[in-house]
Amino acid sequence: MKLRHLKKIRIALSLAIFLFLLIFFLGIESGLLNPVSNFLLRLQLIPSILRFLALFFTISGLGFLLVLGLTFLFGRVYCSSICPMGTLQDMIIALARPFRKKKNRKFTYSGNQKNILRYSVLGATIVFWFFGSLFLVNLLDPYSNFGKISVSFFQPAFIFLNNKLAFFLERFHIYSVAPLEVKTLPLYVIMVSATIFLTIGIMSVLRGRLFCNTLCPAGAMLSLVAHKQYYKITFNDGACTLCGKCERVCKAECLNSRTKVIDHSRCVSCFNCFTACTNDALFYSHQKAVPAMVATNTPAASPGKRQFLLAMAGGALSIPLLKNVSLAQGYSKPGLVPTGTASPVTPPGAISYEHFTSNCIACYLCVGACPKNVIVPSFFDYGLNGFMQPKLDYHRSFCNFDCVKCTEVCPTGAITKQTPEEKQKIQIGVARFMQESCIVTIDRTDCGACSEHCPTKAVHMVEWEGLRLPEVTPDLCVGCGACEYACPTEPYKAIYVESNLVHLEARPIEESDGPQQQVLDDFPF
Amino acid sequence: MDRRSFIRKGFIYSALSGLYSSAIGRIPLLSAQRPATQATGNYDLVAVRGGEPVAMYRRAMQEMGGIQRFVKRGQRVVVKPNIGWDVPPERAGNTNPDLIGAIVKDCLDAGASRVFVFDNTCDNWQRCYQNSGIEDAVRRAGGQIVPGNLERYYHDVEIPGARRLKTAKVHEQILEADVFINVPVLKHHGSTTVTVAMKNLMGVVWDRRFWHRNDLHQCIADFCLYRKPDLNIVDAYLVMTQNGPRGTSTADLTLRKSLLVSTDIVAIDAASTLIFGTQPENIGHIKIASEMNIGQMNLDRLNIKRVAI
Repeated sequence: MKLRHLKKIRIALSLAIFLFLLIFFLGIESGLLNPVSNFLLRLQLIPSILRFLALFFTISGLGFLLVLGLTFLFGRVYCSSICPMGTLQDMIIALARPFRKKKNRKFTYSGNQKNILRYSVLGATIVFWFFGSLFLVNLLDPYSNFGKISVSFFQPAFIFLNNKLAFFLERFHIYSVAPLEVKTLPLYVIMVSATIFLTIGIMSVLRGRLFCNTLCPAGAMLSLVAHKQYYKITFNDGACTLCGKCERVCKAECLNSRTKVIDHSRCVSCFNCFTACTNDALFYSHQKAVPAMVATNTPAASPGKRQFLLAMAGGALSIPLLKNVSLAQGYSKPGLVPTGTASPVTPPGAISYEHFTSNCIACYLCVGACPKNVIVPSFFDYGLNGFMQPKLDYHRSFCNFDCVKCTEVCPTGAITKQTPEEKQKIQIGVARFMQESCIVTIDRTDCGACSEHCPTKAVHMVEWEGLRLPEVTPDLCVGCGACEYACPTEPYKAIYVESNLVHLEARPIEESDGPQQQVLDDFPF
Repeated sequence: MDRRSFIRKGFIYSALSGLYSSAIGRIPLLSAQRPATQATGNYDLVAVRGGEPVAMYRRAMQEMGGIQRFVKRGQRVVVKPNIGWDVPPERAGNTNPDLIGAIVKDCLDAGASRVFVFDNTCDNWQRCYQNSGIEDAVRRAGGQIVPGNLERYYHDVEIPGARRLKTAKVHEQILEADVFINVPVLKHHGSTTVTVAMKNLMGVVWDRRFWHRNDLHQCIADFCLYRKPDLNIVDAYLVMTQNGPRGTSTADLTLRKSLLVSTDIVAIDAASTLIFGTQPENIGHIKIASEMNIGQMNLDRLNIKRVAI
């Protein structure tokens, strides 16, 4: 096979992977496509590593080994094919290209490896993570950012178009396209996503894969491996005419056509150089075949181990500070708000506040997938530690008793997989009734909206002064928030769910012997 | 099935079913207008017991004078079941799907141009439509199940004579239908004790919270002043007698094997309440509706046909 075809294969593969992941983030359910998307999720580097540890060395978390192996063999193929943010950047580069001046369209080799920056970012990310905060991952991980951007912009756009089509068809009484509820995200989420999108977008328009070689922790991690990669892109000195075409198409700005040096730690294996070279002067070769001259000419072959270690130490110093901030904002809210949970409610399967915040990378796949739209990104509800991580918002909606969608899609194991039977026993919070705010007490009229929606009848109605007043049996409550959502009082709800910092088991609904048999012998009228 | 093939198939099927139903409607030979075998007793209420839901429905309609009395050729029909909850049919939290299917088919056979079915569900609407079995039953019968999940489907209406609920946002299917058939399932309800035909109409409006906040019983009665269903059919086969209206397990159910049909929404609620096991006078909205002359809760004054099969 001619190496110049590799680029086409890369483009096809990356687009396919991008689309499969996008389908997932748009919330499209398909028995055929979703398993593929699910498999591709397992290949996402940082989610996979987190999953492996969060679920105690599960096989489904081994995707990262595949990626590391691939990187060791052929370089950072991940960055150009598997990473959806990489593909998104390539799309931005391609779309922006026609609008740029000719002289700005080409890339030039950059001798600055920015090792201090990228390994510091990686080091700090690891140190933060080690101390229980995914703050930097949530901010910088490419998969997580792709998710944020998808849920903030692509999904609303998709819903808009879907609904346009649905409403158009409805005019002809065709109801085969289901209209979707618009998932209005909080403004701060849109702002953060937009900032990330703009930053990465501008970086890629101006300097190609600059993000991947500066701020991306996954890129930095892979570049440590790629530095030692087995097969490397190499110059064939005899065939090269020093035309420089390869350098002009190198998005990573890691190829110097004059000195014939390639910085493999930055190379994202996009294979553009193979296609650009008209003389087939570039090829994949085992490292030993690399001419000694090139090796010594490599400007900074050091992977920056020293900086990396330094950064780890530096990051460690900042941890106590971070912890304090998060504790102050996450756990305790001194002063009583009329109603509302003190700490955010975490999705069923999240095990505990601790487990969830230390494993969720805020990719918002659960936000996009939730059919009830109850999972909403937070801002600082979990403190700086859990920046942007999602929570259940019972003013917006409630958790459907039989639904386990979020537990099925979570890539990191922050929300562990549950069957509907298991999920129905998980108590993520407990309903609390505030009689002094209740319609029944104040207006002296029947209401019962809370009890009506309760799937376990933890909230039930009892006789009270000729009316019916809600009462809560806490151990039956699963904390789904249906009561809080349905409660019509304003501005504060008369019933609300207080989050369980550690999820508990609710008393299961008693086994049923089936309906009672009392067929009418005669009509009672 | 992926979205694209779903859309494509949906297109084809709906086009075909549209063609099919309009063709059937136009060719007299095919439209199977059976001669009236019914005993057209002009009953206020027909009560049937002892059979399966569909069999009881057929018998009741026969006593009522057939569906043709209510659905004329070319009319647009809306059937409003209770599809409020994401529970399977055996939990009887929603109206029996076979019954809905039979009604839809009957209306189409009677020459209805279209039959629409919807509910403003409490749980996720797609899960409710699917898991209740009603979506499937409606499709098989040739009707159309339409969404009620977005506010855009609901339009402001005034309710003349209402005491609390003077305006409401009502689903466009109710506004546009020639014939409105209300098919609730009889259930226990935590605060209104029973939920039957009148309470089922909460599923045709957008803002239910307003009702809960502003004297629920009065609002339930008030809404009947806007549009009373042309026909009410109560599914009282499996009756949820506790933990309603969602229910927690089949232990909440009692097998009553009955079905009621009436044009009087108050009368059918009163009769259903008796089958449920309490007195209509104990139910706030039935009492209020009777006072407001929306219907007759005193069953002694009605011409009732009672059938055991």
